[in-house]
Amino acid sequence: MRNNKLRSIYLSLFLAFICMLIPWSGAALSLRPDFMLLVILFWLLRAPNQCSVGTAWFMGLWVDLATGGTFGQYALAYTITTFFAVIYQRRLVLFSSTQQLVYVFSLLFLSQLILLILKAFAGKEFLGWSYFLPSVTGVLLWQLAVSLGLNTGRHAHGN
Amino acid sequence: MMRGIHQNFEQQPAPAFFVRGPSPFARLAFFTTLSLALMATDSRLQYLANIRQNLMTLLHPLQIIANTPSELYRATDEYFSTHHYLLAENARLKKQALTQDIALQRLDRLNIENANLRNMLDAKQSLTEISTLAEILYVGRDTFTKKIIVNRGRNHNVVIGAAAVDAKGVIGQITRTYPSSSEITLITDKSLAIPVQVERNGLRAIAFGRGRDNTLDLPYLPANVDIKQGDKLITSGIDGVYPAGLAVATVTEMKTTQDSPFAHIVCTPAGGVENNRQVLLVSMPKVEPEKAANTHSAKPVMAKTAADTNSNTEPVPNTKLTNPVSAEKPAQKPLANIENRSHAQQ
Repeated sequence: MRNNKLRSIYLSLFLAFICMLIPWSGAALSLRPDFMLLVILFWLLRAPNQCSVGTAWFMGLWVDLATGGTFGQYALAYTITTFFAVIYQRRLVLFSSTQQLVYVFSLLFLSQLILLILKAFAGKEFLGWSYFLPSVTGVLLWQLAVSLGLNTGRHAHGN
Repeated sequence: MMRGIHQNFEQQPAPAFFVRGPSPFARLAFFTTLSLALMATDSRLQYLANIRQNLMTLLHPLQIIANTPSELYRATDEYFSTHHYLLAENARLKKQALTQDIALQRLDRLNIENANLRNMLDAKQSLTEISTLAEILYVGRDTFTKKIIVNRGRNHNVVIGAAAVDAKGVIGQITRTYPSSSEITLITDKSLAIPVQVERNGLRAIAFGRGRDNTLDLPYLPANVDIKQGDKLITSGIDGVYPAGLAVATVTEMKTTQDSPFAHIVCTPAGGVENNRQVLLVSMPKVEPEKAANTHSAKPVMAKTAADTNSNTEPVPNTKLTNPVSAEKPAQKPLANIENRSHAQQ
């Protein structure tokens, strides 16, 4: 059971990474949700023992590699974001689905904000509010997954 | 009472929050420190360049897998493209080939004439560039930078600093090479600068990418500068990176304001920065110092162009040739420029 879960965690992280590698461009790129962070957040709620801040950090490094940016930017953003998910994990699984949605949105927003700050330090410019669109599409994807019957850990405490 | 609760918990299957290992805060502190250290190492020191290259090699098969859907789509799209469309395209290409053939014949004659003239002047022969055709694999995923990845890398003799051009003009410069792919920073990226010349009057300037949209800036030109809307900018060729005379951009906006001593000039790139599949990677051959020593005889020609461009204080091109152009140098240059620029803004 535990092994099975671990395998599905790795598989889903791998698939999320492939999703990040798909050649997005133009409008699709500016709308692309952060698949990796969504999958990590999902497993944080669902299996907090197998997936934690370290996993997020490690996957962040791979995303850094894929984006071609400085090593550690995504890693740091994911680390801080997952920290906030982890410390509220016990409460999050008790939240109603709307509350959970709001929380997931703020986490996605936070990770983008951290990235923005890091990029600003590197001399990049703010691209306008459309920069935060991936958070919106991300949370829509989350809602889609939930409405398709994916259990985001909300009832996990009952099992 | 407290004891009772403890015993109760011990009998249950271990609750999640007791088997988590180090506290979340400890993990946060540890991994944050690690990330910050990595960022500092990667941005200031060069230790991680090799590791990045090796990991990218590892990633290459995955990239190919991820590219498959869009490749498939494109292949089927091409397969089902109509007969009519293909005929029209064929006719257009034939016409284009014909006109270019005529231009090429004239070019051959001009080349011979140029060689003769250079012989008479005892000047150095102009360099012929090495070029490789590459295809765009994907557009960079970082929305902050304008980068594209192409399918030719170090295995195909692509070097850092090579210029990337398409049929219409310059589109960027190679900034990173991997074994079988390489990264092109587009001229619209904020950190890339390209030395240009106004075609109409030979005025030299440096164009910077704007970063936000697909336009270029011409900063630090005085308000009375002789640049008009519609002027064409071409590469000046004095940087040892871009061959001279390639189209770069067209001036679309030229504004002067009372409160600024500088003109506000915006240009749109000539090359299809965002919409082409194929790019040509052009690298300038290295210049040997012995040859460069002879180049002073070419000065009369250079001096003439310098006289045309009265208001500029750029170094004479020959100084550039006295040291062998290392592969690293051209890539460094724009970065140096951007640093100067930010100082100036402060």
